[in-house]
Parts: sequence; C-alpha cells; structure tokens
Amino acid sequence: MWNAVWKALANYPSEWSLVHKMKKTFFRLRRELSPWPRLPGGAHFAACHFCDTLHEAEPLAEGKAALCRCCGEVLYQNRPASLARVTAFSLTALILMVVVNLFPFLVMDGAGIRTTLNLVSGAKALVASGSPLLGIALALFTIVTPLVLASGLLYVCAPLMIGKIAPGATHVAKWLNRMEPWNMIEVFLLGVLVSLLKLDKVADVNFGMGFWAFGVVMLCMAAAVSGIDRDELWDRLEVARK
Amino acid sequence: MSDRFPRAVEMGLAGCQTCGKVSPLVLGRCPRCDSKLFMRKPDSVRRTVAFMLAAAALYIPANVLPMMSMVEMGVVTENTIIGGIIYFWQGEAYPIALVILTASIIIPLLKMVALTWLCLAASGKIKPSPGTLSRIYWLTELMGRWSMVDIFVVGILVALVQLGNYMTVSPGPGALAFAGVVVLTMFAAISFDPRLLWDRFDALQIGSSPSKEIDS
Repeated sequence: MWNAVWKALANYPSEWSLVHKMKKTFFRLRRELSPWPRLPGGAHFAACHFCDTLHEAEPLAEGKAALCRCCGEVLYQNRPASLARVTAFSLTALILMVVVNLFPFLVMDGAGIRTTLNLVSGAKALVASGSPLLGIALALFTIVTPLVLASGLLYVCAPLMIGKIAPGATHVAKWLNRMEPWNMIEVFLLGVLVSLLKLDKVADVNFGMGFWAFGVVMLCMAAAVSGIDRDELWDRLEVARK
Repeated sequence: MSDRFPRAVEMGLAGCQTCGKVSPLVLGRCPRCDSKLFMRKPDSVRRTVAFMLAAAALYIPANVLPMMSMVEMGVVTENTIIGGIIYFWQGEAYPIALVILTASIIIPLLKMVALTWLCLAASGKIKPSPGTLSRIYWLTELMGRWSMVDIFVVGILVALVQLGNYMTVSPGPGALAFAGVVVLTMFAAISFDPRLLWDRFDALQIGSSPSKEIDS
C-alpha cells in the first residue's frame, strides 16, 4: 500500500493543467539556455541510499524521479529549474528576514502593560532568565540555521546559473546538506500559535506583521530546500570547477 | 546471488552520503565533494544506541521536572508537559491538547521504540523486513523536529509574560532535559544507516552472517 502511495507522490500526473503547459514551455526555454551539463566519461552510477543497490544512472526528463528497482525508494530526481527556484526563494527568504526582524510576532496587552515578541526576544529572554543553553538552542534552530541556509544556498546557486563557481562553494554545499534537518522555522511558528492559545485567557494577544512575514519565510525556505536537485547541483559544481 | 540486485558494496563502490557520487571505496574521500567515503555509516548501530540511551535517560526528568514555573500574584505554579496537556484538555481546547500530546509525548516515545526496533533488526536480533523498516526510518527522521515545539513555547512565554508583580514566567529544569531528548534522538536518527537492514536481509537470503566489516 505504502509503495503505491509513494510512487504516486513521486510522479504525480499533472500534465493536464494549463499552468503545467506554461511551466513546461518556460522550462524548455530555460533548459535550452543553460542545459544540465553531462559529465565526461562513461556510464554514471547511482547507489540507493536505503539498500545500496547499484544502478546505472540514466538522464531523466524534468519533473521525473528514478525509483530504486530493489526497494522502490526515490533514487534520484530531475527537479525542474532547480537553480532558478533555489536562488529566487532563498533571496526572497533573506529579504523577508529583514522584515521579520523589524516587526513583532505577537503583541500582548495585559495588566496595563504591552509586551511584544520578536524573533530574537525569545532567545534573549531565555538567556536572561538563567537558561543560556536553551537560549542558544532556540537562536540556533530559528535564527542562525535559516539565515545560514538561505544565504549559503544563494551563494552556491546564483553563480552556478551562469556556470561560475563561487570560492569555496563545494565546502558550503557540503555543510548546507548537513544543516538541513536543524532548520526549525515551521516548528517555531507552531510554537507561536500554541503560545497564543495559552495566553488567550490571561491577556489580549494579537498577531503582528512579523508572524505573517515569518510564515512567508517558512514557505520560501521549504520551497528552496525542496527545490534543490542534489545531482544537478553537484554535477554543475563539478563541471564549473574544471 | 543471481536473483538479487547487485549492491554497490560488493563491487567495492560506495555512494557518497553528501553528493551521491558513486566512487571506489579505496579512494577514501569522495573525489567530487571531499567528504569521507564509507561503506556504511561508521559504528552506526552503536552510536544510535548510545544517543538513544542518553535520550531515554533524559526523558524521565523531562517529564517529571517542570518545564516552566509561573508566578501569578505571588503564587507559584509549576507546569510539567503533562500538566500543560491537561490544562488545555480541561479548557476544552482539544486540538491544541492533541498537538502537544503528539509532539511532546507520542513522537519522542514512538521515535525511541522505532529506533530500538531498527537497531535490533540491523544487528540481527529480530527478523528484518527492510521495506517497512526503511519507511519507519524515513518517518522517524521527518517527525523528530516537531517535538521541539514545547521548548519554543517556553521561550516565547518567558519573553512575553513579564508583567512585573502580576505575572512572570521562567524556564524550569525540565525544559533543558526535554531539549536534550529532542536533540539526542535527532542525532540517533542521523547516525542510523538503513542499508544495514538490507545487509541483514541479504545475509538471511544467502544463509550466512554478514562480514564483520559491514556489521560494525
């Protein structure tokens, strides 16, 4: 049952919609402008991450995924316009981060005092009230990781669009890969929602502009991270380096 | 051998964990991204078990000790995780109670059960069924971060509720323990190598035990 669901998710049939046709034309044009470089040398291989089965890696059409013939997990994908997507979304996320820091997340009126919460105040309050470790963890997962992830993706992917490699980009790409699971923007947003409900009876709490901006940052980061086509990115890095 | 798919390791090849390039294991480092090449993640089962035991040990103080203490008009109330859930349940905020119950109690518990099961299967103590178990591993990796929500709530409440004499909130020792549980189980999931399950499975098919090198 799960196999069927997984396969359906991996190559969903979206050929019917008009949007898809427009996207297809756009991607064809884009592909012709900067094609995915094929590496020199003979056959290329891919090993499944789950069962280590060796496959000969054949080029895929955009939007398709290759599944492992042994365990059925996704082996590799050709994600459409990955570099353009990653660049656009991570740039948007970075710009919005500035907005997030200018406006409060939550505004609370209680007992005649107005308190506001912004991105850094949670971490700062934890450090100030005697839990520096928790404060550092909070800052790492909700501020540092998203910032580094977005700027790193931009640093690696933007020059690659014109076939250039930024200095040290391979190292940056390697570390971005390891940082990915520690980006917890969406969990923090859920935390803001839970706190709002928790304080509802005590005081008058309202969402600020920062909350909505951070919501968009979350969507952008999710789009950027899921836009990364690992194989294409590394093939391009390898070709650009030579 | 003939009815089985060829594994990369049998040909002395290793897929890079970072960039995916398949290169000969003897190179030691991936020629493309310069990460270390491994046949399997080093000491996978042992590391996973160690992280998990540490997490299990911290899980007790995380649930017993208060996550935060609230001072309201001079009266101190200490909130544990379960206390928070009961508070929402009694206030008839069922969805939010369920969210916290899932994120803070069920996910960490399920994660530890799943990782124990995976480690037992990978070390050959119980029969491996790699298809299902890989899916469980994938879910474990995906769900782990959501447990962090309670820590973030503590942080937000501490920052917001500083109303002088009327009401203040400060973090409790349980919060640190719980953050430890989440981070340690995430490390445990990252250290586990699902390919070990298939090694076991293959070994059972052939009827021998996997070589010592792969086992470690």
